[in-house]
Parts: sequence; structure tokens; C-alpha cells
Amino acid sequence: MASSRDDFIIAIRSAFLKKSTQQKFSLLSLVLVSAFVILLSSLDFKVIRYLKIGINEVVYRSSFVVSIPENFIKNTFFNVKDYTTFFNSYKKDKQALDELRSNYVSNEIILFENKELKELINDYVSSSDKVLAKIIVDHESPFLKSIIINKGSKDNIKIGTNIYDQAYLVGRVIEVNYKTSRVLLLSDLNSNVPVTIAPQNVQAIITGSGDNNAQIKYVKEGLQEGLTEKSIVYTSGTGAIFKSGIPIGKIKVLKNETKTNYNVEFYSDFSQLKYVFAEVVTRTKIFDKSEESAENTDQNKNPIDAKIKILEDELEIIEQTNLKFKDENELLKNEIDNLNSKIFNYENEILNQKKTINQFSIDKEELEFLRLNLIYSHKCQTKKLFSTGFKVGTPEYKKCILNRGKKINE
Amino acid sequence: MSSLRTKGSFFKFYSWIPLIVLFVSVLNEFDFNYLNLDYFSFNFPFILIFYFTLKDFKNFDYFLVFLAGLVNDTVVGLPLGISSFSYILICIFTSYFRNITIRPNQIKDWFYFLFVISLINSINYSILTLFFSFNLILMSYLVNTFFTFLFYIIFVSIFKFYLKGLND
Repeated sequence: MASSRDDFIIAIRSAFLKKSTQQKFSLLSLVLVSAFVILLSSLDFKVIRYLKIGINEVVYRSSFVVSIPENFIKNTFFNVKDYTTFFNSYKKDKQALDELRSNYVSNEIILFENKELKELINDYVSSSDKVLAKIIVDHESPFLKSIIINKGSKDNIKIGTNIYDQAYLVGRVIEVNYKTSRVLLLSDLNSNVPVTIAPQNVQAIITGSGDNNAQIKYVKEGLQEGLTEKSIVYTSGTGAIFKSGIPIGKIKVLKNETKTNYNVEFYSDFSQLKYVFAEVVTRTKIFDKSEESAENTDQNKNPIDAKIKILEDELEIIEQTNLKFKDENELLKNEIDNLNSKIFNYENEILNQKKTINQFSIDKEELEFLRLNLIYSHKCQTKKLFSTGFKVGTPEYKKCILNRGKKINE
Repeated sequence: MSSLRTKGSFFKFYSWIPLIVLFVSVLNEFDFNYLNLDYFSFNFPFILIFYFTLKDFKNFDYFLVFLAGLVNDTVVGLPLGISSFSYILICIFTSYFRNITIRPNQIKDWFYFLFVISLINSINYSILTLFFSFNLILMSYLVNTFFTFLFYIIFVSIFKFYLKGLND
């Protein structure tokens, strides 16, 4: 039994003496190991994850060192290219700077207003610190568009952290190691970003096209026609993957004979990135001052208490509104009284004026009578002999005087 | 005596150059992609591995090729093991081709290379899309295969020059 086992071992050993057999064996085992590693990667095994993090730390640094000569050539190439277009780009930049300066003020106002509104609705205020990160590996693979930055979990970078070039969004972190992270660029085919297109206010999702553009997808039919080359694309914040209001790019209309395509041209040139900003967000809830005073108590933790608190607040607001209305009513009443007294005064005045006018007309009539009396009194007075006139002081006499003497038929 | 020692260390370094170049290329993705030419890309490690394993170069160890694959996956951001699998498959194909070839011919090698890289890229594409749900452009893969095929003949002449220097 033992001799047969020894024979078997000897046979294997002698077989492995041949170089071709060794090669076959090593190739077969390496293929199996590769397949096994792929399988574990697809199942996202912890061992593979840690192995990958370990390899990443070493490989990214090595890659950075190894890439120095190629990066030097690459940078020289771009520098030469930059110098040739230096003057034109300077002119463009100057124009853009002027426009930006004018937009800056309104932007500040909007930011302030936004903060105020958020405070009003008791929302979260995100205080964010932008951490400057250097790109250590930027190999523009034709298949995957990603970069490696020199900040990792040590610097509070998390999966999903937004990455900026100045104020423009360039991607998000998809893999975090201790001192390095991988950023999936917006131009990658696997990148999907919910966006708003202004000023049309169209909601859409943009997907990387593999080059330095993105395609607009999942937009409501018919809304695309309104888009122009002046339309600006910024993040909508839907899904809470990206913060809202971060500029991405502008629309580029590509007209074919058959149809019109709407692409997004990024503001940032991803091939020229050297440094980026990683936004480390810390979310803090806004509390009222009254809440702050009761912070130590556990009352606020109870949802019912929280609801009561909201209702009390509402009640307080309503009471305050009522008081305001009461004051307003009081003021209006006073005003009405004042106006009534004014009307009364005016009416009195009118009455007095009417009296004066009447007196004036009476006086005028009396004056006329006296004037005519001087002239026509002999015609209207009674005479003893013939008694044809009227007695002085009677209405008939007055009438006679006003008629300038007695008429024949009277 | 000292000149011999110098010659010996230089010779050692010279004989390790293909492997050093392989690691540099996987760490650096040496493929002129920064030129931003539409669709232009080629896979230099494929050419290097195919040629030197076909020639059964003594310092081109399969395990080191496997490690180079792991490094490539890390740098490119592919799932771990994909490139190693591809590289080892190339080694298997070249090993088989070397055994069945009686009279080596460069043109035959060239077209066999086309067959191998087409097959491997197809396997790569299938694994990435089916198992890892990656969105990939098929055209990029086809163009990559085409340019890798074209560049093979150019690099082969350089490698020949290198081997000639080694034999001398």
C-alpha cells in the first residue's frame, strides 16, 4: 500500500520535472485563481474588498511615481497647446470674468435667501468643507472614466462624496481607501446624474457618453424641443446623491438630417484636471432658540411632543396674527370716527353757507323793494278820495311795488 | 574583472526589461489616450505578453504576468481578476500555439494574435456586462482590438531588435 503511494508521488515528481508540464500546471492553476478572484469580486467578498484596498494603496502610489515621465510629456504637450491659444483664451476669460462679476452679487443674494428659507422650514443646513485633493492617477481609459485622488477615509471622504473642479461638478467618489479614493467622472457611461435644465426648468437625467460629453436621458417627451444652446444644466438634487444647484455644463444641440440630439458640454475639461475639491458634508439640524433651551430635556425626542410643539407654535402664530388684526381694526375704527366727525363739520359748514345765501337773497329782495318803493309808492298807496291803492305794509302793496305799479286788469 | 561584473548586472537588467516594461505599462496605461483621438486606443500589455510568451522568454514568469493583471485591474478600476484572467488566457493560447507550430511565421503569429485578442476582448466584454452590469461601448472594444492588431507588427520589430541585442 505504502509502496504504491510512493510510486504515485514519484510519478508526479517526474512529471513535474518536464518544463512543459510545469507550465501547463501553473497556467491552469493561475486561470483557476483568476476565475475564483473574479467570482469573489462579483459577490463582493470582504476578503477581496480588503485585498483590493491594500493593493490600491500600494498600486496608486506606484502608479503616480511611474506616471511622472509620461505626465511630464503630457503636461508639456498641453502647455505648448495652451501657449498657442493663450491670447484668445485670455480674451474669452476676461469677458467671462466680467459676466461672472455681475452674476456674483445676485448669487450671494440667492444664497442668503436660500439659507433663510431653509431655516424657516426647519430644514438641515449643510455646512461643507471643501478639501483640496491632488489627482495622482488619471489614465484616460477608453472604457472607464475615473481618476484617483490623494484623499481617503482618513480625510472623511465617503462613497458618494461630490467632487468639484472650482465650482463645477466633475464626479463622485465610488471607492474609498485609507489615503486614496477613486472618482467616477460624469463622462463615464455608468454615471447618471439627475439634473435641472434652466431656464426651461426641465427635469432630466444625464448619462456620460464615454467622451467629454454627456447625453440627456429620461426627459419628458416634447420638452426637449424647448432647449437651446444657452440652456444651463445643473444638479437637481433628486435622489440626494448630488447636492442641488451645482453647475455641470451647457446644452449642445447637434442637428442631424433625421433628428436633433441634445448633449451636455461640461464646463470643466476632465482631461486637464490636476487638483479637485472634495466636499466633506456635515449635516446639522436647525433648532429654535426655545428648543435650544429645552435641549437637555428629553421632551423633544418624543414625536408627540414634537407635534404638540408644532401645534403650539402654530397657535402662537395665529394668536399673534389675531392681535395684529385687532390692532388694525382699532386703527380703522378710529379713522372712521375721524372721518365721520369731519363729515359732520362739513355738513354744518354747508348749512351755515346755505343760511348765509338765503339771507343774502332775502336782503337782495328787500333792497329791490325799497328801491322800487321810492319810485312806485305813489302808484300803489291808497288815497282818501278815490281809494284805488293798497294799504302800506300789506302783501298786496309789496306785490304792487314789485310789479312796478298797479296793472289795469288788477 | 569589474567590467565583467558591470556587464553581468547590465545583462541582468537588460533581460528583465520586458517585465519592467509590462509593469510600467500597466501602472501607467501607456496608450496615448491623452491625445484625445476619437476611439483611438490600443492594449500594449496584450502585445507584450503575447510576443514574449510566444517566444518563451525565460524571465517572463506567468505568476508575474498574473500580478501585472491585478495591478492593471486596480489602476483601471475593473473588478479584480479580469485582466489577470485575460493575460493568463493569452499565455495559454501562446503556449498552445508554440507547441503546435513547427515552422514559425510572423504573419501567422500576427493573425493568430488577432484571433486571440478578439476572443479575449469578447470574454472581457461579456463578463463585465453580464456579471458586473458595466455599460461599455462595443465600438471602443472593436477599435481597441483593431489598433492593438495593427500596432503588433510595429512593436514586434522593436522586440526583435531587443532580442537580437540580448543574443549578441
